Amino acid sequence: MKKTDDRLDLPQGTLDLLIMRVVALGPIHGYAIAQRIQQISRDALQVQQGSLYPALHRLEYKKLLSSRWKPSETGREAKFYELNSKGRTHLKVETENWTRLTDIVSLILEGTLEGI
Amino acid sequence: MGWLRRLFSRERLEADLDKELRFHFEYQVADKVRSGIPESEARRLTRIEFGGMEQIKEDCRERRGTMWLESLLQDVHYALRQLRKSPGFTIPSVLTLALGIGATTAIFTLVQQVMLQSLPVNRPDQLWRIGDQPHCCNWAGYSQDSGGELSDWNLFPWEAYKLFRANTTGFQDLAALQAGNMPLAVRHAGSSGPPDTANGQYVSGNFFATLGVPAWRGRLLIDADDQQGASPVAVMSFHAWQEKYGSDPSLVGSAYQINGRAFTIVGVAPAGFVGAKMVDSGMPDIWLPLSTEPLMLGTTARIKNARVDWLDLIGRVRPETNPKALQAQLQSELHGWLASHLADMSPQEKAVWQKQTLRLSPGGAGFSSLRRDYSESLLLLMFTACCVLLVACANIANLLLARGLKNRQQTAVRVALGASRARLVRNALLESTTLSLIGGAASVAVAWAGARLILYLAFHMLERSTWIPVQATPSTLVLLFALGVAVLTGVIFGIAPAWMTSHAEPVQAMRGANREVGGGRHWAQKALVVAQAAVSLVLLSAAAMLGGSLRNLEHQNFGFDPDGRYLVYLNSMLVSKYKQEQLVPLFREIQDRLSAIPGVRGVSSATYAPMAGNQWGHDIRVQGKPEPGPKDDVSADWTRITPGFFDTIGARMQAGRAIHEDDNANARHVAVINQAFARKFFENQNSIGRHFGPAAVRNAGTYEIVGVVQNIHYLTWGFRDPARPMYYIPEAQTVQFDQPDLQSDELWSQNLYNIVIWAPGHRASMLMQVKKALAEVDPNLVIYDVQPYSRVIQGTFDQQNMIASLTWLFGAVGLVLAAVGLYGVTSYGVEQRRSEIGVRMALGADRGSVIAMVLRGAFWQVGIGLGIGIPAAIGAGYLMASQLFGVTPWSPLLLAGATVLLGLAALCAAVMPARRAATIDPMQALRSE
Repeated sequence: MKKTDDRLDLPQGTLDLLIMRVVALGPIHGYAIAQRIQQISRDALQVQQGSLYPALHRLEYKKLLSSRWKPSETGREAKFYELNSKGRTHLKVETENWTRLTDIVSLILEGTLEGI
Repeated sequence: MGWLRRLFSRERLEADLDKELRFHFEYQVADKVRSGIPESEARRLTRIEFGGMEQIKEDCRERRGTMWLESLLQDVHYALRQLRKSPGFTIPSVLTLALGIGATTAIFTLVQQVMLQSLPVNRPDQLWRIGDQPHCCNWAGYSQDSGGELSDWNLFPWEAYKLFRANTTGFQDLAALQAGNMPLAVRHAGSSGPPDTANGQYVSGNFFATLGVPAWRGRLLIDADDQQGASPVAVMSFHAWQEKYGSDPSLVGSAYQINGRAFTIVGVAPAGFVGAKMVDSGMPDIWLPLSTEPLMLGTTARIKNARVDWLDLIGRVRPETNPKALQAQLQSELHGWLASHLADMSPQEKAVWQKQTLRLSPGGAGFSSLRRDYSESLLLLMFTACCVLLVACANIANLLLARGLKNRQQTAVRVALGASRARLVRNALLESTTLSLIGGAASVAVAWAGARLILYLAFHMLERSTWIPVQATPSTLVLLFALGVAVLTGVIFGIAPAWMTSHAEPVQAMRGANREVGGGRHWAQKALVVAQAAVSLVLLSAAAMLGGSLRNLEHQNFGFDPDGRYLVYLNSMLVSKYKQEQLVPLFREIQDRLSAIPGVRGVSSATYAPMAGNQWGHDIRVQGKPEPGPKDDVSADWTRITPGFFDTIGARMQAGRAIHEDDNANARHVAVINQAFARKFFENQNSIGRHFGPAAVRNAGTYEIVGVVQNIHYLTWGFRDPARPMYYIPEAQTVQFDQPDLQSDELWSQNLYNIVIWAPGHRASMLMQVKKALAEVDPNLVIYDVQPYSRVIQGTFDQQNMIASLTWLFGAVGLVLAAVGLYGVTSYGVEQRRSEIGVRMALGADRGSVIAMVLRGAFWQVGIGLGIGIPAAIGAGYLMASQLFGVTPWSPLLLAGATVLLGLAALCAAVMPARRAATIDPMQALRSE
C-alpha cells in the first residue's frame, strides 16, 4: 500500500471529471471505476470509497450518469453506471475547460519572469 | 418532482446503497484473497480501508439532495415518538398551549375585523372620507365647534355635498350616506300581516358605484334613482335578504310598503358587503336614495335644510391627486358655501365661520365607530392574553427543562455516538415546535369558541335581534396568525431547554452522579417561575381593578331608581300615519291600557328615557341674560315627557313642581330643569319662574321654569363627566318656531320612543303583556323590546363587563399555571436533592427544618416575582387609567389582595413537595445512589 504522502490531492471537481471519463468507456461498476483510475494513473491516484460513492451519487442526482443493476463478471449483481447524452456533453465541455485552464496555468508557471 | 419521488422510494434507495457498497467490499476482499492474503485478514484490511461504512452512506444520502427533508422527517418522527411516549407531559402541555394560543387568536379574530379590515370593495386604498371622526347622527348649525372647542367638520348638509360633488375634480366620484339610522317597517305590498322592522340608510345614487360594489341580484342604486320625482326604489343588504327573506329570488323587482310608502326592491347588495359604516347597532338592512327622505319624513325632512348636518361623505380620489391639495380645495369650498349663508347665521356662528376646518382621512375602512369604541379594550385584552400565553410558555419550558435534565444520560449517549450538537438543538426545537403546532391546531377550536364568548358578552348577540358585522369564524389571516403564534411560542419555550441540551457534557452525565445540590443547574427554571409570579400578579391586579371599576359603574347613583322599572322601546309612526294632533291622545290611551296591567303602579312616556341610547341637544338663551360669546357653551339636552314621569322612574324633585295634567295645549309653556341646568345658567339662585328657550334670543321667553329635578344620567357614556344641563317639556304642549330646524325637532319629538313602566314585584312576562295591550290600541305599533331597567343599565356596561370577566378568567388561568409551574420546579428540586436531604437528615435536621428549607426556596422565587410584579402592576394600572371608573391605578388594598392570592396559591403549590421532602427516609435516599 502506498503511503498517504505520495498520493496526489485532486483539485476540487476533478474527481467528477475522471469518473465521467472512465464511465464514458462503457457501463462500469464502482469498484472497477476505482481500479481503472488507479491503473491508468499508474497507482498515483487512489480513489477512496468515501469520495467515490458520494461523487457517483451526486453525478447521478445531477442526471449526468444513469445506472442499471446487472450481473457482474463475478456473477453477483452490481450497479453499473453509464454516461448519458447530457453527461457526454458535460464531459466534452468540462474536458475542454480543463485543457484550456491547464494550458494557461502551465503557460504562466513555465514562462520566463522577465516581464514582471 | 424528483426529490419527492426519491423521498417516497427511500427504502429501496437505502437497500440499493447498502447492496452497492457491500458489492464493492466483497470484490475488494476477493481481490485481496486472490493475491494470497487469508480471508479473515483480507476482511480486516478492507474494513480499515473502507473507514466508516455509515459515514459513506450518510455522505451519499446528503449528495442525493433529500437529506435535509429526510432528516427533518426523521426528527419529526422522533419528536412525535417522544411526545407519544410521555402522555403525562404531552396532554397537559397541548391543553395549556391550546388555551394560550386560542385566547390570543380569539382576540385577534376580533382585532382583525374591528381594527385591520378594509371594506370589501374595489381598491379601498383610493377611498378618502371628508372628516376624521365617526359621528352620529345629526348636527345643527354652521359651526361644528362643540362646547367652545374647535372641531373639524365631520357631518355635512345635503347642499354642501352637492356643491363638493359638482366642483371637486380631485374626486372621481363622491358619495354621501346618512350618518344615523332610519327605522323602517317593511311589508310586502298587498300583505296585511305585521310588518318586519328593519334599519334603513339614505345614500346618494352613486354610493355603490363610488365604492365599486357590484349587485348580487338585480341592480343597485344609480343616480337616476336619486332624483326628485323618480319612482321610489330600494336595495337590500345580503344579510337581511338571507336572514329575513330566506334568500327569496322573487324579492328582487317586487313592490313593498316601506313605512307605508310604495317602494320597489330593485336589487340585493353582494355577500360580505355590509355598507360603509361599522356600528354596533343599526347596521343597514335597506338602502334608500337620499331623494326619498322628504317622501318618508314629510315636514321633518332634513335634505333641504342647509342648517342640518347629517351626511357622511366618502369619495374615490383620482390616482394622481394629492390629498393635501384636495383637502385645501375642499376647505375653501366649505368656506365659500358658509359665506353664502351669512344671512342665516347666528351672531356666534358669524364670529367663527371663517375658522371652520375639515380634514381628509383615508376611507378604506369606512366609518367605523366599532374601531373607536372597541380598539382600546381589544388591545387591553390582547395584552392580557399574551401575558397568559407567556405564563403558559414558561410552564412548558419548565417541563421541558426538567425532562431534558432527566434525559441527560440519554443525550450523553447520543453525543458519544456522534450526534452533532446542531442536530441535538434542532431535535429539541423541533420537539417544542411540534408540540406547539399540535397545540396551535387545537387552539383554532378554542379561538372560535372564545370569539363567540366575547361577542356574546359584549353584544348579547344571541339574545338580541340586531347583529354586528363581526364574526367568530376564523379567517385565513386568523389561521395564519395562530400558526405564527404557535411556531413562535414553540421557539420561545424551546430555546432554553435546547440550549441546555446542547451544553450537555457526555462525560459528566455518564458518570451518572445524581449528586445535585441546591442551586446549580436549574436557575433557568427558577427564573421562569419568578417571571410567572410577576405576570400573574399583574393580571390579577388588573382584573381586580377592572372588576372594581365595573362594580362602581353599575352601582353608582344614576339619579333614578331602576328597581321594579321596565323600559319599552317602540315606534308609533312607522306604519300608522298619525296626524300631529293625534299623538297626545294616542299616548294617553297607550298609558291607560298599560296602567291596567295587574301590578303596574305607574306608566309614563318620553321622547327618550335615561340610558336608552338617545340624546337631543339645543343651544339655549336665558331671558334677561346677555348674548353669549362664541366660545361659551350654552348647550342643554332636552326631552319630552308625559305627566308623572319623575314619580314613575323614581327621581326626586328638588324645588317647584313636576309636569302635570294641566300643562296642556291651552296653558302657558312650561319646563322642568335639572340641578345642573340650575347651577350652570342660574348659579343655583332661584330659577323658578325664570324663562328660557332654544337659540336664537327671540325665543328666550318660550318656557317658564316650574320645577327643578335631581340630575338623572341619560347618556350611556361619560360617567366621569359632570352632569349635563337638561330640561323637560310636556308632551301636550307645542311651540311654533320660525326656524325650520327647531320646528322639525319640535314636531319630531312628539313621537315618544320610550315608555317607562313601574311594576314592583311583577313576575309574569312583561313583554307579552305590553305587546297585547298595545296591539289593542293599534296593531301597527312597532315594539322593539321591553327590558327590566336593571338590564338596560347592565347592557350599558356590557363592554366593561366583558373586559373584566375575561381579565378575571385570564388572571385565574395565569395563577393556576404559575402555581403548577412552582409545584413542578419545587418537586423537581426535591427529587434532585433527595440524597442531599437524606444527608442533612442523617446529620440531624428534623422534618420541620426540611419543610422550611423547601418552602423558603419556593417563596424566594415568589418574593422576587412580587418585587418585579408590584411595580409592573402599578404601571399597568396607570396604562389602564382611561378604562377605570372610581378606582385609582395605585390601590394598596387591591395590590395586597392580589399578593395574598398569589401567596396562597404559592403555598398550596409548595407544601406538597415540601411534605414529600420531609418524608424522605435518610437510609433509603443514601442507598439509592
